[in-house]
Amino acid sequence: MPAVLGLEGSANKVGVGVVRDGAVLANPRRTYVTPPGTGFLPGDTARHHRAVILDLLQEALTEAGLTSQEIDCVAYTKGPGMGAPLVSVAVVARTVAQLWNKPLLGVNHCIGHIEMGRLITGATSPTVLYVSGGNTQVIAYSERRYRIFGETIDIAVGNCLDRFARVLKISNDPSPGYNIEQMAKRGKKLVELPYTVKGMDVSFSGILSFIEDAAQRMLATGECTPEDLCFSLQETVFAMLVEITERAMAHCGSQEALIVGGVGCNLRLQEMMETMCQERGARLFATDERFCIDNGAMIAQAGWEMFRAGHRTPLSDSGITQRYRTDEVEVTWRD
Amino acid sequence: MQAADAGAGGGVEGADDGADGPGSPGGAGEATAAALGRAPPVTRPRHAPRPGGDAAATAGRTGGPDAPSALCVPFPSAVEAEIACGSLAPDAEPHGGAVEKQLTVRGSVLAVRWRATNPRLLRISIISFLDQLSLVMRTMQRFGPPATR
Repeated sequence: MPAVLGLEGSANKVGVGVVRDGAVLANPRRTYVTPPGTGFLPGDTARHHRAVILDLLQEALTEAGLTSQEIDCVAYTKGPGMGAPLVSVAVVARTVAQLWNKPLLGVNHCIGHIEMGRLITGATSPTVLYVSGGNTQVIAYSERRYRIFGETIDIAVGNCLDRFARVLKISNDPSPGYNIEQMAKRGKKLVELPYTVKGMDVSFSGILSFIEDAAQRMLATGECTPEDLCFSLQETVFAMLVEITERAMAHCGSQEALIVGGVGCNLRLQEMMETMCQERGARLFATDERFCIDNGAMIAQAGWEMFRAGHRTPLSDSGITQRYRTDEVEVTWRD
Repeated sequence: MQAADAGAGGGVEGADDGADGPGSPGGAGEATAAALGRAPPVTRPRHAPRPGGDAAATAGRTGGPDAPSALCVPFPSAVEAEIACGSLAPDAEPHGGAVEKQLTVRGSVLAVRWRATNPRLLRISIISFLDQLSLVMRTMQRFGPPATR
């Protein structure tokens, strides 16, 4: 019954989680929130994580009711993500692994999301839509790899939403995406935006440029409200995501879809995906904000699977990496 | 993998939580400094560029733009120095090969050596290293001592 500690901090959320045999024993998290109109920079984010991570680690152990000796493995996010924040978390993981004489495991952040999604929802072999501020991928498992069927060719959908929020000076608390979602509910007018699906892939940077420009013009003339723009952006980008997920499901003959990543908290996206799934006779799975948003327990869960399958990360190989493809990992814990 | 709109990896703005200047060496002093939440005493890098000096003047003083900078960090024991080295060595320096950093352990001292041609990148690397070193030390204080092997 291994108990695994997981440390995550690849973007502006830092979290420490403890998982044992499919039970999440603890999952505290803190978010670095910047003022409206600004985004988070790597150095400042790393400074935030360094200031709170040891408290989080203590909280996690206390909440789990475990001592350091009862932890069997220390897992951390090896990548992908932002450099300085990743390093800040990795050095703590390496230090406690050495202090407590426990094996270390470097986990792929995307796989963390997938494994937590599978655990919490019980989905057996879903087509996964992974959407966050840093990533947008459609993934399906096949023969020991999480294969990327479709992805963004430029920026992540969450990045598009977050940067649009800055233009409107929407608050980043608790997250820009959440606030866009609330404003979108009050939108009435659909503003036509570019729709950029490219085969199995999507593109968002053109939509962002367009809507940043449109916002300036249309808000000045009163042609539409900020709520209308939030509504229009969501409707457009989410429809694109539903399309590429459906395309992958059709290719794989899949009857299950799973949404993971911070943008997966969005109820409108879940609603649109549910409609598509029902039309296909498929089932939709989603998790709540404890697990869609970056968290430590998802790293612990992926680490738990990897640990039981015999993976280990020697210190010399434990360096973080900002680029880490989901299909680079050999998924030996599934057949 | 699609990156977020991240800046270049690893860069650190400001030096607000870097180590203090030369402090008194010695175990008791260190433990006190550490307990107060301050970074432990470290020797000032011998060849670090001075603020306000231009690259040429600094280079002249230190004998060339490629001159190494060095830091010696004392730990209470060899085991702890090794742990710190194990935690801080694995991550590659950002910005390609512009800055080289080498960590070695001599007894209970962690020795760090930098070689860089760009003074600004060198400064960033040193500051970033000190920030991460401080975190490693706080982690060891809070979650140590090392378990018996």
